[in-house]
Amino acid sequence: MKDLRLERDVQTTVNKIEARKVQVYYGTNHALKDVDVDILDKTVTAFIGPSGCGKSTFLRCLNRMNDTVASARVEGSITLEGENIYDPRVDPVQLRAKIGMVFQKPNPFPKSIYDNVAYGPKIHGLTRNKAELDEVVESCLRKAALWNEVKDRLASPGTGLSGGQQQRLCIARAIATSPEVLLMDEPCSALDPIATAQVEELIDELRSQFSVVIVTHSMQQAARVSQKTAFFHLGHLVEYGETGTIFTNPIDPRTESYITGRIG
Amino acid sequence: MNNEPHIASAFDRDLEGVQALVLKMGGLVEAALADAADALESRDDALAERVRSGDAAIDALEEQVNTECIRLIATRAPTASDLRVVMTVMKIASALERSGDYAKNLAKRSIVLAQMRSIEGAAGAIRRMSRQVGLMLKDALDAFITRDVELAQSVRQQDKDIDQMYAGLFREFLTHMMEDPRNITACMHLHFIAKNIERVGDHATTIAEQVIYLATGAFPADPRPKADSVIAGDR
Repeated sequence: MKDLRLERDVQTTVNKIEARKVQVYYGTNHALKDVDVDILDKTVTAFIGPSGCGKSTFLRCLNRMNDTVASARVEGSITLEGENIYDPRVDPVQLRAKIGMVFQKPNPFPKSIYDNVAYGPKIHGLTRNKAELDEVVESCLRKAALWNEVKDRLASPGTGLSGGQQQRLCIARAIATSPEVLLMDEPCSALDPIATAQVEELIDELRSQFSVVIVTHSMQQAARVSQKTAFFHLGHLVEYGETGTIFTNPIDPRTESYITGRIG
Repeated sequence: MNNEPHIASAFDRDLEGVQALVLKMGGLVEAALADAADALESRDDALAERVRSGDAAIDALEEQVNTECIRLIATRAPTASDLRVVMTVMKIASALERSGDYAKNLAKRSIVLAQMRSIEGAAGAIRRMSRQVGLMLKDALDAFITRDVELAQSVRQQDKDIDQMYAGLFREFLTHMMEDPRNITACMHLHFIAKNIERVGDHATTIAEQVIYLATGAFPADPRPKADSVIAGDR
């Protein structure tokens, strides 16, 4: 029998992303206060917390999605492998190829299944010819556990798939640019339990190649898929630690109150 | 510990429900132990018989605790201190069920002993020991109700006294048996009774340790305090 401790062990101590004293303002609203976090490589990190606690805001800082919000202002430093991602020389489009994102609602492009996955590699010029592109599309769909279901209808529209399949298509699209980090903002909240289980299984497999950060409202999902958990409350990062510890013996009383269903 | 109510008030009612069941069990076990010791001393077969038949109620409660806890885990997915409450309740129920069995065994043996000539001072000593253990159980359960780590620690300390009482009785019964072989049957029964009461003390200690885990999230790091053993060389 496999040792349970090995199974859930985090095999690395390498920090992929380091955030220091991150502040986010939306106009005059101070949405995120003094957030310090180290996101490990090849690890699933879950952000939990009540609505409006800042977890999605922080997730969006990690690939500069907040740049698109006119009133948003980000302070502090966030580095990806030691490089400041807010450096003016960094191209946000290139950055987002390295830090992919999957959203709450499946949002495939109104194109064929094939083109949905091929889009990223094409615009970033990651492949030299059609054969290589075919290979990338197939391998990404396989990684997203979707290949067997769609291999005979790659030319049909992505929007024609079921909700769970669409979400896995979006994950295939997100990993097609070979990102280093995958951000997921409540990727399963619009899915049924079967599709949720498939996506969670996928997240666990992706962990061997990427650093995955997932925002979820389902405490049980955070407990199931992540190795590290961060609890946000009122714009503060209250507690960050090993998932098992957070769910059995959290240090901060606010964490305890939240995970046991005492504060909303 | 977190004393705020849950947003889902039914969750609070479920947790309070299983804790009330375990306390009801505790009350029955304390009474069974005291009654069985009284029955031994007063040679009251009717009382012993009542203790014996009363054990079924304790067993039924343990089963109910387990069923409710399993349902609670399945439906509410408790975490952190809530999870510790559920796990602790199950372990306490199991310790109490075992203790109830020992009280029942004492009652059974007291019916047998009532037919024999008495061993001087033995029944009184057994009653004192069982009262002491009964107090340990009560303290352990009080500590559970109030999440009182200090009281739970004191229960662990009290177990040493019980071990000493048992060692004393062990030597005493040995002396009686060596003096007159006709005492052997009675003394063997009495020795088993003393050993079983000593085990109830161990169960009370287990409950106390569960309370410490419930309140702090960690089991006591220091080993259980131990008195001199009756086993030669085992010190």
